[in-house]
Amino acid sequence: MAQAATGRSHRVRHVPELDLLPVMNLFCVIIPFLLLSASFLEISIIEMSPTEGISSGAGTTSLAQSEEQQLQPKVIMTDEEMFLGTVFGTRSIGRAFMESRDGQMVISYDYEALSEALGGFRDELNVAFPTIPVHKITILTVDDVRYDNIVRAIDVCSEHGFDQPGLQVAAYNVLQRAIATGAGGGNP
Amino acid sequence: MSSAPTKRHVPLMLGYKKSKAVVRGKDKKVTLNLTSMIDMFTILVVFLLKSYSAEGQIVTVSDALTLPESRSDQKIELNLEIIVTNDAIIVDGEPIVFVDESVLSEGNPIPVLVNRLSDHLEYTRQMRGITGEEMKVNIQGDIATRAILLQRVMSSCAQAGYATQNLTVIKVEGDEEQ
Repeated sequence: MAQAATGRSHRVRHVPELDLLPVMNLFCVIIPFLLLSASFLEISIIEMSPTEGISSGAGTTSLAQSEEQQLQPKVIMTDEEMFLGTVFGTRSIGRAFMESRDGQMVISYDYEALSEALGGFRDELNVAFPTIPVHKITILTVDDVRYDNIVRAIDVCSEHGFDQPGLQVAAYNVLQRAIATGAGGGNP
Repeated sequence: MSSAPTKRHVPLMLGYKKSKAVVRGKDKKVTLNLTSMIDMFTILVVFLLKSYSAEGQIVTVSDALTLPESRSDQKIELNLEIIVTNDAIIVDGEPIVFVDESVLSEGNPIPVLVNRLSDHLEYTRQMRGITGEEMKVNIQGDIATRAILLQRVMSSCAQAGYATQNLTVIKVEGDEEQ
Protein backbone atom coordinates (compact mmCIF):
# COMPACT_ATOMS: atom_id res chain seq x y z
CA MET A 1 0.00 0.00 0.00
CA ALA A 2 1.26 3.42 -0.87
CA GLN A 3 2.45 5.50 2.01
CA ALA A 4 3.01 9.22 2.28
CA ALA A 5 6.46 10.66 2.73
CA THR A 6 5.84 11.04 6.43
CA GLY A 7 5.30 7.31 6.78
CA ARG A 8 1.81 7.68 8.13
CA SER A 9 -1.05 5.86 6.57
CA HIS A 10 -3.69 8.04 4.92
CA ARG A 11 -6.31 5.38 5.05
CA VAL A 12 -9.72 6.98 5.73
CA ARG A 13 -11.79 5.20 8.35
CA HIS A 14 -15.45 4.96 7.35
CA VAL A 15 -17.79 5.00 10.35
CA PRO A 16 -20.80 2.85 9.45
CA GLU A 17 -24.00 4.88 9.41
CA LEU A 18 -26.83 3.72 11.61
CA ASP A 19 -30.09 3.25 9.78
CA LEU A 20 -32.67 4.91 11.99
CA LEU A 21 -35.63 4.45 9.68
CA PRO A 22 -36.87 1.16 11.26
CA VAL A 23 -36.73 2.83 14.69
CA MET A 24 -38.75 5.72 13.32
CA ASN A 25 -41.30 3.29 11.89
CA LEU A 26 -41.63 1.57 15.25
CA PHE A 27 -42.11 4.89 17.02
CA CYS A 28 -44.74 5.97 14.51
CA VAL A 29 -46.75 2.86 15.37
CA ILE A 30 -46.19 2.80 19.10
CA ILE A 31 -46.89 6.48 19.83
CA PRO A 32 -50.48 6.59 18.51
CA PHE A 33 -51.20 3.33 20.35
CA LEU A 34 -49.88 4.68 23.62
CA LEU A 35 -51.69 7.98 23.13
CA LEU A 36 -54.98 6.14 22.75
CA SER A 37 -54.53 3.98 25.83
CA ALA A 38 -52.93 6.59 28.10
CA SER A 39 -54.99 7.81 31.01
CA PHE A 40 -54.01 11.27 32.10
CA LEU A 41 -56.61 11.40 34.88
CA GLU A 42 -56.35 8.59 37.38
CA ILE A 43 -59.47 7.86 39.38
CA SER A 44 -59.37 6.13 42.74
CA ILE A 45 -61.78 5.58 45.59
CA ILE A 46 -62.04 6.12 49.33
CA GLU A 47 -63.92 3.30 50.99
CA MET A 48 -66.14 4.65 53.73
CA SER A 49 -67.23 2.84 56.83
CA PRO A 50 -70.99 2.57 57.32
CA THR A 51 -72.34 5.99 58.03
CA GLU A 52 -74.63 7.06 60.82
CA GLY A 53 -77.44 9.51 60.50
CA ILE A 54 -77.66 12.91 62.07
CA SER A 55 -77.18 12.59 65.76
CA SER A 56 -80.22 13.50 67.77
CA GLY A 57 -78.02 14.44 70.67
CA ALA A 58 -79.41 11.71 72.86
CA GLY A 59 -75.86 10.57 73.52
CA THR A 60 -76.62 6.88 73.68
CA THR A 61 -73.57 4.67 73.70
CA SER A 62 -74.05 1.05 72.86
CA LEU A 63 -72.80 -1.36 75.46
CA ALA A 64 -71.78 -3.69 72.66
CA GLN A 65 -69.21 -1.25 71.35
CA SER A 66 -65.91 -2.92 70.70
CA GLU A 67 -62.70 -1.64 72.25
CA GLU A 68 -61.73 -0.19 68.89
CA GLN A 69 -64.95 1.75 68.70
CA GLN A 70 -64.38 3.14 72.16
CA LEU A 71 -60.91 4.31 71.18
CA GLN A 72 -62.07 5.61 67.82
CA PRO A 73 -61.11 9.29 67.39
CA LYS A 74 -63.28 11.96 65.86
CA VAL A 75 -62.27 14.87 63.69
CA ILE A 76 -64.84 17.55 64.39
CA MET A 77 -65.24 20.28 61.79
CA THR A 78 -67.40 23.31 62.45
CA ASP A 79 -67.60 26.54 60.50
CA GLU A 80 -65.26 28.21 62.97
CA GLU A 81 -62.86 25.60 64.23
CA MET A 82 -61.55 22.06 63.91
CA PHE A 83 -61.16 19.71 66.88
CA LEU A 84 -59.74 16.26 67.49
CA GLY A 85 -61.79 14.23 69.93
CA THR A 86 -60.02 11.22 71.38
CA VAL A 87 -60.27 8.97 74.37
CA PHE A 88 -57.74 11.27 76.02
CA GLY A 89 -59.92 14.35 75.57
CA THR A 90 -60.92 16.89 72.97
CA ARG A 91 -58.44 19.47 71.77
CA SER A 92 -58.63 22.30 69.31
CA ILE A 93 -56.63 21.88 66.10
CA GLY A 94 -57.02 25.39 64.81
CA ARG A 95 -59.50 27.95 63.66
CA ALA A 96 -61.03 27.82 60.20
CA PHE A 97 -59.84 30.42 57.72
CA MET A 98 -60.80 31.63 54.29
CA GLU A 99 -58.80 30.33 51.35
CA SER A 100 -59.00 30.93 47.63
CA ARG A 101 -59.71 27.78 45.62
CA ASP A 102 -60.33 28.06 41.89
CA GLY A 103 -60.98 31.76 42.29
CA GLN A 104 -63.54 31.26 45.02
CA MET A 105 -63.12 32.10 48.71
CA VAL A 106 -63.99 29.03 50.78
CA ILE A 107 -63.54 27.89 54.36
CA SER A 108 -60.44 25.80 54.97
CA TYR A 109 -58.65 24.26 57.95
CA ASP A 110 -55.11 23.72 59.16
CA TYR A 111 -54.47 20.18 57.92
CA GLU A 112 -50.81 20.20 58.93
CA ALA A 113 -51.82 20.81 62.53
CA LEU A 114 -54.36 18.00 62.22
CA SER A 115 -51.61 15.71 60.93
CA GLU A 116 -49.38 16.56 63.90
CA ALA A 117 -52.23 16.00 66.34
CA LEU A 118 -53.14 12.64 64.81
CA GLY A 119 -49.49 11.59 64.84
CA GLY A 120 -49.31 12.45 68.55
CA PHE A 121 -52.54 10.56 69.22
CA ARG A 122 -51.24 7.51 67.35
CA ASP A 123 -48.11 7.54 69.53
CA GLU A 124 -50.21 7.81 72.68
CA LEU A 125 -52.40 4.92 71.50
CA ASN A 126 -49.36 2.74 70.82
CA VAL A 127 -48.13 3.36 74.36
CA ALA A 128 -51.44 3.07 76.21
CA PHE A 129 -53.21 0.40 74.11
CA PRO A 130 -50.53 -1.42 72.13
CA THR A 131 -52.63 -4.53 71.50
CA ILE A 132 -55.69 -2.79 70.07
CA PRO A 133 -55.46 -1.84 66.40
CA VAL A 134 -57.44 1.34 65.78
CA HIS A 135 -58.20 2.05 62.14
CA LYS A 136 -61.62 3.63 62.30
CA ILE A 137 -62.12 7.35 62.54
CA THR A 138 -65.23 9.51 62.33
CA ILE A 139 -65.39 12.78 60.49
CA LEU A 140 -68.04 14.70 62.37
CA THR A 141 -69.13 17.89 60.68
CA VAL A 142 -71.81 20.51 60.66
CA ASP A 143 -74.26 20.67 57.74
CA ASP A 144 -72.44 22.96 55.36
CA VAL A 145 -68.83 21.78 55.42
CA ARG A 146 -67.62 21.35 51.86
CA TYR A 147 -66.95 17.90 50.43
CA ASP A 148 -63.34 18.72 49.50
CA ASN A 149 -62.58 19.66 53.12
CA ILE A 150 -63.94 16.28 54.22
CA VAL A 151 -61.79 14.45 51.67
CA ARG A 152 -58.69 16.37 52.77
CA ALA A 153 -59.34 15.46 56.39
CA ILE A 154 -59.79 11.80 55.39
CA ASP A 155 -56.46 11.92 53.54
CA VAL A 156 -54.65 13.25 56.59
CA CYS A 157 -56.26 10.59 58.78
CA SER A 158 -55.22 7.75 56.48
CA GLU A 159 -51.60 8.97 56.62
CA HIS A 160 -51.60 8.02 60.31
CA GLY A 161 -53.24 4.63 59.89
CA PHE A 162 -56.83 5.75 60.43
CA ASP A 163 -57.88 4.37 57.07
CA GLN A 164 -61.49 3.43 57.75
CA PRO A 165 -63.25 6.77 57.82
CA GLY A 166 -66.91 7.29 58.50
CA LEU A 167 -68.94 10.43 58.00
CA GLN A 168 -71.36 11.80 60.54
CA VAL A 169 -73.22 15.08 60.30
CA ALA A 170 -74.67 16.75 63.34
CA ALA A 171 -76.46 19.94 64.14
CA TYR A 172 -74.26 22.73 65.46
CA ASN A 173 -75.65 22.62 69.02
CA VAL A 174 -75.10 18.85 69.17
CA LEU A 175 -71.53 19.32 68.04
CA GLN A 176 -70.93 21.99 70.65
CA ARG A 177 -72.22 19.62 73.32
CA ALA A 178 -69.97 16.85 71.99
CA ILE A 179 -66.95 19.14 72.12
CA ALA A 180 -67.79 20.29 75.62
CA THR A 181 -68.22 16.75 76.97
CA GLY A 182 -65.33 15.19 75.07
CA ALA A 183 -66.09 13.49 71.79
CA GLY A 184 -63.74 10.55 71.91
CA GLY A 185 -65.22 7.10 71.77
CA GLY A 186 -68.76 6.40 70.68
CA ASN A 187 -71.42 8.76 69.52
CA PRO A 188 -71.65 12.36 70.60
CA MET B 1 -19.87 30.97 -40.20
CA SER B 2 -21.18 30.49 -36.77
CA SER B 3 -24.87 30.91 -36.18
CA ALA B 4 -26.33 32.48 -33.08
CA PRO B 5 -27.25 29.96 -30.42
CA THR B 6 -30.85 28.97 -30.30
CA LYS B 7 -32.85 29.13 -27.10
CA ARG B 8 -32.51 25.39 -26.84
CA HIS B 9 -28.77 25.58 -26.65
CA VAL B 10 -28.47 28.22 -23.94
CA PRO B 11 -29.01 26.09 -20.79
CA LEU B 12 -26.69 23.47 -22.13
CA MET B 13 -24.00 26.03 -22.61
CA LEU B 14 -24.59 27.38 -19.11
CA GLY B 15 -24.30 23.88 -17.75
CA TYR B 16 -20.89 23.48 -19.26
CA LYS B 17 -19.72 26.51 -17.38
CA LYS B 18 -20.41 24.94 -13.95
CA SER B 19 -17.40 23.77 -12.04
CA LYS B 20 -16.64 20.09 -11.94
CA ALA B 21 -17.05 20.02 -8.14
CA VAL B 22 -20.63 21.23 -8.41
CA VAL B 23 -21.46 18.72 -11.09
CA ARG B 24 -20.00 15.90 -9.03
CA GLY B 25 -22.11 16.99 -6.03
CA LYS B 26 -25.28 16.12 -7.95
CA ASP B 27 -24.48 12.46 -7.58
CA LYS B 28 -24.31 12.61 -3.77
CA LYS B 29 -27.18 11.10 -1.79
CA VAL B 30 -28.88 13.58 0.54
CA THR B 31 -29.63 12.04 3.93
CA LEU B 32 -31.90 13.40 6.63
CA ASN B 33 -30.48 13.68 10.14
CA LEU B 34 -33.03 11.86 12.29
CA THR B 35 -31.11 11.84 15.55
CA SER B 36 -32.91 14.79 17.16
CA MET B 37 -36.31 13.43 16.13
CA ILE B 38 -35.43 10.04 17.63
CA ASP B 39 -34.46 11.81 20.86
CA MET B 40 -37.81 13.58 20.97
CA PHE B 41 -39.74 10.39 20.22
CA THR B 42 -37.86 8.51 22.92
CA ILE B 43 -38.88 11.09 25.52
CA LEU B 44 -42.46 10.98 24.27
CA VAL B 45 -42.61 7.18 24.40
CA VAL B 46 -41.23 7.10 27.96
CA PHE B 47 -43.83 9.67 29.08
CA LEU B 48 -46.67 7.78 27.39
CA LEU B 49 -45.52 4.45 28.82
CA LYS B 50 -45.64 6.01 32.29
CA SER B 51 -49.24 7.05 31.83
CA TYR B 52 -50.20 3.85 30.03
CA SER B 53 -53.24 2.13 31.42
CA ALA B 54 -53.81 -1.48 30.43
CA GLU B 55 -57.16 -1.57 32.22
CA GLY B 56 -58.72 1.38 30.51
CA GLN B 57 -61.14 3.81 32.09
CA ILE B 58 -64.15 2.07 33.61
CA VAL B 59 -65.72 5.20 35.04
CA THR B 60 -67.04 8.19 33.20
CA VAL B 61 -66.75 11.36 35.23
CA SER B 62 -69.67 13.70 34.77
CA ASP B 63 -68.95 17.10 33.27
CA ALA B 64 -71.35 18.66 35.75
CA LEU B 65 -69.02 18.21 38.69
CA THR B 66 -65.45 18.57 39.83
CA LEU B 67 -64.18 15.60 41.80
CA PRO B 68 -62.01 16.25 44.86
CA GLU B 69 -58.34 15.28 44.84
CA SER B 70 -57.00 12.65 47.18
CA ARG B 71 -53.87 10.61 47.79
CA SER B 72 -55.93 7.43 48.09
CA ASP B 73 -54.63 4.70 45.80
CA GLN B 74 -57.46 2.19 45.99
CA LYS B 75 -58.41 0.99 42.54
CA ILE B 76 -61.88 1.84 41.39
CA GLU B 77 -64.33 -0.97 40.72
CA LEU B 78 -67.30 -1.07 38.43
CA ASN B 79 -70.30 -0.37 40.67
CA LEU B 80 -73.53 1.54 40.61
CA GLU B 81 -72.73 5.22 40.09
CA ILE B 82 -74.41 7.95 42.11
CA ILE B 83 -73.62 11.50 41.07
CA VAL B 84 -74.19 14.19 43.67
CA THR B 85 -74.13 17.84 42.71
CA ASN B 86 -75.66 20.86 44.38
CA ASP B 87 -78.53 20.64 41.88
CA ALA B 88 -79.46 16.98 41.66
CA ILE B 89 -78.78 13.42 42.71
CA ILE B 90 -78.38 11.15 39.69
CA VAL B 91 -78.47 7.37 39.91
CA ASP B 92 -77.17 5.41 36.95
CA GLY B 93 -77.64 8.43 34.70
CA GLU B 94 -81.21 9.12 35.81
CA PRO B 95 -81.96 12.22 37.94
CA ILE B 96 -83.79 11.02 41.04
CA VAL B 97 -83.81 13.97 43.42
CA PHE B 98 -83.59 17.66 42.65
CA VAL B 99 -81.75 19.38 45.46
CA ASP B 100 -83.55 22.26 47.16
CA GLU B 101 -83.68 23.70 50.64
CA SER B 102 -86.03 20.98 51.89
CA VAL B 103 -83.48 18.32 50.93
CA LEU B 104 -80.72 20.21 52.71
CA SER B 105 -82.68 20.94 55.86
CA GLU B 106 -83.19 17.36 57.04
CA GLY B 107 -80.74 14.66 57.90
CA ASN B 108 -82.46 11.37 57.31
CA PRO B 109 -82.30 9.05 54.30
CA ILE B 110 -84.12 10.39 51.22
CA PRO B 111 -87.16 8.09 50.61
CA VAL B 112 -87.20 8.49 46.82
CA LEU B 113 -83.53 7.65 46.63
CA VAL B 114 -83.90 4.70 48.98
CA ASN B 115 -86.71 3.29 46.80
CA ARG B 116 -84.69 3.69 43.62
CA LEU B 117 -81.62 2.07 45.15
CA SER B 118 -83.67 -0.77 46.64
CA ASP B 119 -85.22 -1.46 43.23
CA HIS B 120 -81.81 -1.51 41.62
CA LEU B 121 -80.45 -3.81 44.29
CA GLU B 122 -83.37 -6.20 43.90
CA TYR B 123 -83.04 -6.18 40.12
CA THR B 124 -79.30 -6.87 40.34
CA ARG B 125 -79.88 -9.62 42.87
CA GLN B 126 -82.35 -11.34 40.55
CA MET B 127 -80.23 -10.91 37.45
CA ARG B 128 -76.85 -11.81 38.92
CA GLY B 129 -77.88 -13.74 41.99
CA ILE B 130 -75.61 -11.98 44.44
CA THR B 131 -76.27 -10.94 47.98
CA GLY B 132 -76.71 -7.37 49.15
CA GLU B 133 -73.54 -7.47 51.20
CA GLU B 134 -71.49 -7.69 48.04
CA MET B 135 -73.09 -4.64 46.54
CA LYS B 136 -71.20 -1.40 46.57
CA VAL B 137 -71.85 2.05 45.19
CA ASN B 138 -69.50 4.69 43.87
CA ILE B 139 -70.46 8.21 44.85
CA GLN B 140 -69.20 10.99 42.63
CA GLY B 141 -69.57 14.24 44.50
CA ASP B 142 -68.79 17.79 43.45
CA ILE B 143 -66.14 19.50 45.60
CA ALA B 144 -68.71 22.10 46.68
CA THR B 145 -71.27 19.54 47.82
CA ARG B 146 -72.41 20.19 51.38
CA ALA B 147 -71.77 17.56 54.03
CA ILE B 148 -75.47 17.21 54.84
CA LEU B 149 -76.29 16.22 51.26
CA LEU B 150 -73.45 13.74 51.08
CA GLN B 151 -74.45 12.24 54.39
CA ARG B 152 -78.08 11.91 53.29
CA VAL B 153 -77.02 10.09 50.14
CA MET B 154 -74.76 7.78 52.12
CA SER B 155 -77.38 6.95 54.69
CA SER B 156 -79.90 6.34 51.88
CA CYS B 157 -77.46 3.86 50.36
CA ALA B 158 -77.00 2.15 53.71
CA GLN B 159 -80.76 1.90 54.24
CA ALA B 160 -81.28 0.47 50.76
CA GLY B 161 -78.76 -2.28 51.47
CA TYR B 162 -75.56 -0.94 49.99
CA ALA B 163 -73.34 -1.42 53.01
CA THR B 164 -70.17 -0.11 51.39
CA GLN B 165 -69.99 3.29 49.82
CA ASN B 166 -66.97 4.41 47.87
CA LEU B 167 -66.19 8.06 47.29
CA THR B 168 -64.77 8.59 43.82
CA VAL B 169 -61.78 10.93 43.80
CA ILE B 170 -59.01 12.02 41.49
CA LYS B 171 -55.73 10.49 42.53
CA VAL B 172 -52.83 12.84 43.06
CA GLU B 173 -49.27 12.11 44.05
CA GLY B 174 -47.82 12.93 47.49
CA ASP B 175 -47.24 16.70 47.60
CA GLU B 176 -49.36 17.54 44.59
CA GLU B 177 -52.47 18.13 46.66
CA GLN B 178 -52.88 21.71 47.82
